[in-house]
Parts: sequence; C-alpha cells; structure tokens
Amino acid sequence: MRIQNETLSPWRKTMRILRRSWWPYIAAIGPGLLAASAGNDAGGIATYASAGATYGYSLLWVMVLITIAVAIVQEMSARLGAVTGKGFADLARENFPIRVTALIMFTLLLANAGIIVSEFVGIAAAAELFGISRYIAVPVAAFVLWILITRGSYSRVEQILLILSAVFLSYIASAIIVHPHSQDIMAGLHPTIVRDSDYIKIVVALVGTTISPYMQLYVQSAVVEKGVSINDYRYTRIDVFVGTFIAGVVAACIIIATAATLHPLNIVITSAQDAARALAPIAGDYAEILFGVGLLGASLLAAGILPLATTYMLSESLGFERGVSRSWQEAPIFMGVFTVLIAVGAIVALIPGLPLIEVLVGVYVINGLLLPIELVAIVSLVNNKELMGVYTNTPFHSVLVWIIVGLVSLLSLIYIGWMIVQMFVG
Amino acid sequence: MLFVSQLMNLLVRASDGSDIGMLSDVVVRIDDRSYPPISGIVVRDQRRAMFIPASEIVEITHATIELNTMQLNLQRFNRRDGEVLLNKDVLDHQIIDINGRRIVRVNDIQMARIEHEYCVVGVDISPQALLRRLAPRAAARHIIGRQVISWADAQYLASAAPVQLKVSYNRLNDMSAVDLARIVDALSYRESAEIVAALDDETAAETLEEVSDERMADLLEGMDQERAADILEEMTPSAAADLLEDLDADVAEQILARMEPEEAEDVKELLAYDGDSVGRSMTTDLVVAYPDDRVEDVIRGLRAREELPDPLTEIYVVEHDDVDAGMEGIGARLIGIVRIPKLLVTHSDVQLRDILEEVPTIHADDPSENAARVLGEYNLTAVPVVDSDGMLVGAVSVDDALAVLLPDIWHRRGSRNFG
Repeated sequence: MRIQNETLSPWRKTMRILRRSWWPYIAAIGPGLLAASAGNDAGGIATYASAGATYGYSLLWVMVLITIAVAIVQEMSARLGAVTGKGFADLARENFPIRVTALIMFTLLLANAGIIVSEFVGIAAAAELFGISRYIAVPVAAFVLWILITRGSYSRVEQILLILSAVFLSYIASAIIVHPHSQDIMAGLHPTIVRDSDYIKIVVALVGTTISPYMQLYVQSAVVEKGVSINDYRYTRIDVFVGTFIAGVVAACIIIATAATLHPLNIVITSAQDAARALAPIAGDYAEILFGVGLLGASLLAAGILPLATTYMLSESLGFERGVSRSWQEAPIFMGVFTVLIAVGAIVALIPGLPLIEVLVGVYVINGLLLPIELVAIVSLVNNKELMGVYTNTPFHSVLVWIIVGLVSLLSLIYIGWMIVQMFVG
Repeated sequence: MLFVSQLMNLLVRASDGSDIGMLSDVVVRIDDRSYPPISGIVVRDQRRAMFIPASEIVEITHATIELNTMQLNLQRFNRRDGEVLLNKDVLDHQIIDINGRRIVRVNDIQMARIEHEYCVVGVDISPQALLRRLAPRAAARHIIGRQVISWADAQYLASAAPVQLKVSYNRLNDMSAVDLARIVDALSYRESAEIVAALDDETAAETLEEVSDERMADLLEGMDQERAADILEEMTPSAAADLLEDLDADVAEQILARMEPEEAEDVKELLAYDGDSVGRSMTTDLVVAYPDDRVEDVIRGLRAREELPDPLTEIYVVEHDDVDAGMEGIGARLIGIVRIPKLLVTHSDVQLRDILEEVPTIHADDPSENAARVLGEYNLTAVPVVDSDGMLVGAVSVDDALAVLLPDIWHRRGSRNFG
C-alpha cells in the first residue's frame, strides 16, 4: 500500500522523529550519531588508547579510512531500513537461504556476545579504579541490570548512564591541551605500514571496534522504528554522515591524546590506570576518577542494551515469542537467551587473572574477523532489486563498497594467516 | 501431509517418465478461503523456470512429483499480480496467528490433498521445523515435533510479497482491539500501517486508542487525512483530543479541519484544557433538565433521543434563566443531580426540584486524579464538572476516571524498552 506523507514537510517530519526517539537528550542529534558513538564504548576506548600509546600518531591515517568506510556502511544500513521498512534480522531471514541466515545470526551472536563480555570487563576495570573488587561489582551490576531490564525500568537509567559516558568527550579537551605538533599529526595521516603481527592486530581491532555489526543493526532498526520513508531519507543520510564524522573525531582525539602523553614514555597500555593517564593533562590527579566514571557509564549502558538487542535480533529471525515484559512461561527462549548472555558476560569477566585490556582489544579483533560476513550480507541485500527497486547501489558506490569488503576481508585473512604461521614457527 | 520445505528441489516427472526439472516454488492465490488450493508449481531446469498448472499434477509426495503432461507443452513462468509463491513469499516470513493473538514466523508450510486439490492447510511454527531445514536430509527425519497452526487461523501480510496483492484481512475481525493493538505495536511501521488500513473505522479507532503513543502518532500522520478524520470521529472526544495532542500541531489541525464540524468542535473544546486536567478526561455528552420539569417529561425526553450517553447514571438539573446556556443546557448553573434509579421509582408527576440531590463538583482545570478521589470519597458514579464561573461543562464518570488511572498501571506492568 501507499503511505501518504506529502502533507508533512520532510524536514518537520524528521524533526518530529528525532524529537520522539527514546533519549530526549540524544534525540536532538539522531540515530546516526548515537549508533556511531556507540563504538566509543569500553572496548573502543581501550583499542584507540592502545593504538595511540603503542604506535603514536602513526595509525591516524587508518582511522581516516575506517571512518569513511563506516559512513558508507552505515548509510547502506539506514537505506535498507528506509526502503524496506524492515530490520536486518528480518531481511536476512526472508531473503537468504536458511543455512546462510543461520551462519549470519551465529556470527552476529558471537560478535555481540564478545562485546557483552567486554562491557562487563569494562565494569570490572572501572570498579577497581574506585577500589571496589570486581568479584563484588560485576555480579551486582549483572543482577541489577537484569532486574531493571526485565522490570522495564531500564530506560529511565539509560539517560543517566549516557550522560556519564559523555565524560569520554574530555579526551577531545585533552587532545587539544597536550598541544600536539601539527607536523606529527600530518605525518600520522601519511600512510605507513609497520610489519609486525601486533600492528596488524591493532588495525583489525580498530576496524572491529569502529565498524561494529551492532551499529549497523542499531541504525537500521532505529530508522525502521521511526518509520522514516525514502522521501525523508536524505535527512537521515545527513545524520548518519555527521554522526560518523563526530565519532571519528572523538576516536582520533583519543589516539592523539594517548600518542602525545603515553607514547613518548613508552607506556604500553595494560590496565585502566594506564588508559586514564591520557586524561591527566586536563584532570590532573582526578584523571583516574574521571576515566572510571566514563568507563562505568559507557559499560553499563552497553551492557544493558546489547543483550536485549541481541536477543531481539535472534527472536526476530528465528520467530520465537519475544518481549521482556512476557513471563518465563510465555517467552522461555527469549528470557533464557537474554539471561544467558548477561550471565556469560559477567562470568567471563570474573575469570581470575584476566588481562583486561588484552580482552577488550581481543574482542574487537574477533569482531573485525567476523565483519566480512556481515558486510557481504548487507551489500547483497542492498543490491537486491526486488527489495530496493531503484535504490540499489550505483556502480561507483558498488565499487567503493567492494573495495571496503575486500580490504577488510584481506586484513582478516592476513591476520589469521599470520597467527597460523606463528603457531607453527613459534 | 506435505511440507513445502521438503518438496523444494524434488524431481518433477512428465507422463512419459522423463525428468522435466526440479520444483522451485508453489504458486497460490491467497483469498478468503480457509484452505486455498494451489494454482500450480514452478519447475526449473538448467535454462529457465516453467509454470505447470495444478490440473496437470497427478501426485505430489515427499519423493517425487508426477505430472499427466508431456515436456512439449510447457509454458514459461511469469509471476502475475495476486500470485503468492509459497517458498519465496510465505516461508520464513511473518504471519499473524489469529488464535494465539501474536506474530509468528513461518518455519514450514503444510499442504494436503483435499478433494483432488492440493491446498495450503497450515503453518509450522515449531523450532524443530527450523532445525529440520538446517540439518542434513538424513538427520532431518529424526527431528520430531511440530506446532502447526491452521491456515484458517493465519493472517498473511501482503507486504511480504514483492507484487501488488489484494489480501483479505477479514480474519482480523475475530480479534479484540487490545490484541490488535499489541500486534500493531510489535510489527514494523509499514506492516502496522497495512493492518490499520484494512480495519473498518470503528475497529481502527478502538485499536489506535490502545496502541503506544509513538506508533499511534506515526500511523495517524502517515495515513490519508480524510481517513484519520473518519477514525477520530469514531472515538470519544476526550480520546480523540488525547491522540491529537501527540501529533504534529499542523497535522492535528488539518485532521481537525476534515472532521465533521460538530465533532471537531467538541474535540477543540477539550483540547483547550491541560492534558492532565479533569477537563480532558470528562465527557460532555450529558442529559440536562430543569428543576420544574416533571419526571414524565424527562423520561419522554430520553425516549426521544437518538442515542443515550453510555453510561447513563444520572440527570443534571440546571437553572433556567442562563442566557448563555448552550446546547443541551451545558454552560448553565448546576443545581443538583437526579440518579436514574430514583427517576424510575418516582411518580411521573413529581417535579425534579423535589427529588434532586446536591453533590460536590470539581473544577475543569483540576488535575484529573482529583475526579477519581471525589468519586471514591462520595460514592458517586459520576461527578459534575464546572468551569471557573461555576457553570456545568461536563462530568467525569467512574469509567472516565478508570481510563485516567489505568494507563499508569499498564505502564508499570508491561513496558517494552527496546526494539
């Protein structure tokens, strides 16, 4: 059927859509930015900080390329949502053979489960900055999150957590205060490749944290939920591009701040304390507290959203009864999967002697390795004429996208190859 | 019993025993019939897809498909409007389970032979059906368990197919507005718009009143304004006012302009009051009488009315001499009320002034919770509402007060915060 929209000016409609999304505070900016900045969570901070501390400014050019890739990928997901009016899980199930759908869903489950683990690791690290044992903080956080979400009162807490996690914007201030030399930054923007496996690993992690699958899932479902039609789509596209740009700037600032403060001292980040030191230029002795607050907010926020989003994705595609407001009897699989995701995240984060930063970066390495599967799925949906009509990718766009897919896949293959070689050699 | 997923890629055999190709889909027209018969199958060989009408099918089993025709007279498959492909457009898509009052995903489709015709009879929604399709063929046989809902209880969504479809939504008539609203909330915007478009104005009005504010606003703003106006006219003025307030101001105005002038006027009056005030939740449909009216006059007046307020629990007695009094006495000074039971048992010659009782009133600008408190404290079934000059403007019945209190309770119980 035809949905009539001509009575509403597109701009007004978009404004209203923005006004009415869940987070009044973020609503002014839109789903594109929210999705993009979701990449700057516990694992994201750890990855960017590690990149800056270990390799100085020299990975900045990679961030520029990745940010462009994010913009292109996010735009495709938003377009899929606007044209088809359906979420990614729906489209995958309805358009791919059942075994392919199963592979995609398994991949996304694995990637998201990894990120959930990383969020609980973030909670543990933040708690320990405040001197609270992780063996107390993590179980309490898991239990409280579970209760809040199943009782449906999480959305009220969400806004507080979002404000707490905005603390990470102080990296921008830090990056300015440290007065980085512009020639250093320019040099960093010049493509250079270091030949060692750690370098490839950090690049894979940067890709994985910046082009996270859940960001695409989120932006598409937000577009669908708000009923953005293709007529209003150009405003969504602007939102997606602006959001990606801002998130890219924040990520670059974290790299610059750590490159200027930690890299000259040859500090390799192994703990949250190390990462916090890059905030010392603006916060002085309070750097650890500032970092801890931000880390706690960002980690709790994502630890609350991701298990639910992942469970919705699975139930959407597999078709089991869904909704947290349902009881165990009504939706046993839904509640089961949701509870297991939180429990696994919390339990893994409690393994004694777990190297925190290694785990955070490692999760995004896995994400980066799984990314090609999800990207290929998105591209083949976008280029499906029956679904997208005249809104498939243009030839130029297609070439760009396949270059991205090719590079990401190549990177994954090189890294896997390198690891296999190392297993035999060393 | 045949299952569509297990029929795919089976060999299709002509009457002379030669292989024509492999089954790639089953064509059906979905209409009002409980178990629609298939109109044919799509068979694919290396080069092309062919259509074979149902009349040429001798037998379908889980091993082969036999035809009574020869390879020579085969026609190329071209999808026509109104045709649905079971494998492509139904399998793996969402349908509404009318009996279960929920949305389910089609994990398999059941067909059966009914009087020489192959018909779609049911939809398997069990996880086992999914596992069977994922597992290798040999292992699939050992996965037992099915959960089949009858096709008669399944509502297909036209947006699932890429062609223009005229799907009948008659099956939705068996569902209550609350259940429909739950489904409208759970579907994507476009699918929910498809459902609402298929409902009659009255059902659409009842459904929209129960749908979440965001979805309701999106639906009303997205639909044809003439239709939106028709739907709002079916609602009580206070429900319509509540909904309009959630809309974009310009759109709300345009929809109001398309409503019947009288009903639009009622809604506008209510919109002048604050969202949480008594004025918003009150009803303005009252039966008003004068103190010197006799019981007989009132009852005769009631009988003459086309429609009575629902619920009707009392008559409002107002002063005669108010020049400003508008239609039906609203806007006049209230003297008291006469409850309907009292009216029924009193002699017909008695004047209302002798049987009326004085009751507390509330102010139209008071918070709406006050009405509930007054109703409870004074054991009333309705409390009159007056404006700042003490003139009668409406009344809040127990029903109205309940509607104010209930959303809060629902909110606390079942809010969904993601998706």
